[in-house]
Amino acid sequence: MDPALKRRLASRFGERLTAPIHQRHDETEIRIGPGDVPDVCRTLHDEPEFAFLVLADLAGVDTGTTMQVVYHLWSETSSDWLRIVADGLTRDDPRVPSVTFLWKGAEWMEREAYDMFGITFEGNRDLRRIYMPPDYQSFPLRKDFFLPDDAARSPGAGVRHMEQVHVPRAGRPATTIRKAPA
Amino acid sequence: MTSAPPRGQQEVPSDDPRVQLDEALGVFEPVPPYPPRTEREAEFYTLGDGEMFINMGPQHPSTHGVLRIVLKIDGENVVDLDPVLGYLHRGVEKLCENADYHHSIAYLDPLEYISSLFCEWPGVMAFEKLLDVTPPPRAEYLRVLSSELNRILSHSMFIGWMALDLGGLTPILYGLIERDEIAEMLAALTGQRLLFNYFRIGGVNGDLNHEFLSRLGDWMSRATTQIDANLGLLNENEIFVRRMRGLGTMDQATALRMCMTGPNIRATGIPLDFRRAHPYSVFPELDFDIPTRDEGDCLARYLVRVDEIKQSLRIIDQCLNQMPDGPIMAKLPRLLRPRPGRAYAAVEGPRGQYAAYVISDGTDQPFRMRIHDPSFVHLQAVGTLMPGHLIADAMAVMASLDPIMGGVDK
Repeated sequence: MDPALKRRLASRFGERLTAPIHQRHDETEIRIGPGDVPDVCRTLHDEPEFAFLVLADLAGVDTGTTMQVVYHLWSETSSDWLRIVADGLTRDDPRVPSVTFLWKGAEWMEREAYDMFGITFEGNRDLRRIYMPPDYQSFPLRKDFFLPDDAARSPGAGVRHMEQVHVPRAGRPATTIRKAPA
Repeated sequence: MTSAPPRGQQEVPSDDPRVQLDEALGVFEPVPPYPPRTEREAEFYTLGDGEMFINMGPQHPSTHGVLRIVLKIDGENVVDLDPVLGYLHRGVEKLCENADYHHSIAYLDPLEYISSLFCEWPGVMAFEKLLDVTPPPRAEYLRVLSSELNRILSHSMFIGWMALDLGGLTPILYGLIERDEIAEMLAALTGQRLLFNYFRIGGVNGDLNHEFLSRLGDWMSRATTQIDANLGLLNENEIFVRRMRGLGTMDQATALRMCMTGPNIRATGIPLDFRRAHPYSVFPELDFDIPTRDEGDCLARYLVRVDEIKQSLRIIDQCLNQMPDGPIMAKLPRLLRPRPGRAYAAVEGPRGQYAAYVISDGTDQPFRMRIHDPSFVHLQAVGTLMPGHLIADAMAVMASLDPIMGGVDK
């Protein structure tokens, strides 16, 4: 844990953080609204007191109620991983600005998050499916996409298992979506 | 009963007789049969004067797996390219979210079949963080020992492939000899030759045994001379060195912008090695150097890996000398239910940063399991490095980045 990083982040981004800064093991976590992502990332990348030059990972998350985009950054100035959680994206139309203007390498990671979760990254100039075929309709890593070996939702029960619409249809049995306070 | 017509019949027939002939013969057309979806796709699939498309893959030997690259070429020069992924996609993240914590480790193995231990490690480390478990020191030493052997295995295969993509057939045979000896050794330790499945949450699966140690001692006694002799085939080869020098050069700013890690970023002169930059396991207790080069070309990427083999041998030596006695597993219940929380763990693999981000919701299955693989990120850089090179050199550029398609497609 790096308490100095926590202080610096709190004083720099005070009013923009949507939740208290959380620290555990070697990780520091901040939460921001999706609209603040480009500004916060640019500040962390450019200002020498932070100098988070390495984007270690970019992940989409479906918590069952909302969507998140999670960035992990690394810097020489801190012994912690910095985790930025862009929180509160709606599940119907998740949108977040792209960070490809800072890290061109985020382009494919954003494509992957789009492919798996349907998150639209505004400003990514190549946002198309990367793993699934181009005529594929569903978003497989969403929590309402069930795997075919769930017997109750098998093709025998009328479910086309390789393709599922993410809006539940009227006559469909109520689903239990896993939810987490992530 | 009516069903939707197959995809091919929905298209409007082309007026171009060449396209009609291709379709009649069943020849694969590189241009996709639908309108462009993005700005970049529209730009790529518009041909300039004298340009043409050519498909490389999915079954091309130098794509190291099943990758299709649509090349836009002008004569023999690559103008632009569009990698098409997904031929090996297995949905490992989804499988892990539907398996319990112990089962997920087995799904992590086949991600990169050349460096399985490095795929297991971040997952296991993230689970341990969620559970607040620290593996006993002997287990940490065993992890470092086995994974450094795996790093040598991976790099000796890389050197062979690299030469193979440049047209040299001999080094791959020597690389395979090296790999086979280490694979047999690790089979004695872990029980399997390819997908080791050795790490457990809170420790490792098996302790040192006689067969492993005798094979290791046998190999270590001649490893340095043997590897040097193999490398002599390439390092003193005028054709190889002159062709690699100055090819596919990448500067430091681009490497950071492309999110590169591992030997590929160290070849540009940035000493970013997460064993030192963000220490984990017992690496703070071990003494080794981080080889870097300043040129950032294919030769630099090759030589950084060669130097890393020597550092790995040093680490293995120290592990064997310093390994403490004691248990190899922490005491844990069979059924793991970590408290709700999030954990991120990353290790330095032979290709770069392998990482896992895990969310727990208090049940016995991970709620979200994100796997970050360096091959995926590095393959992306092919798009910035290849344009302007000849097709044959483009293969060398790709080989020098060392992507493994199992990791790219997850």
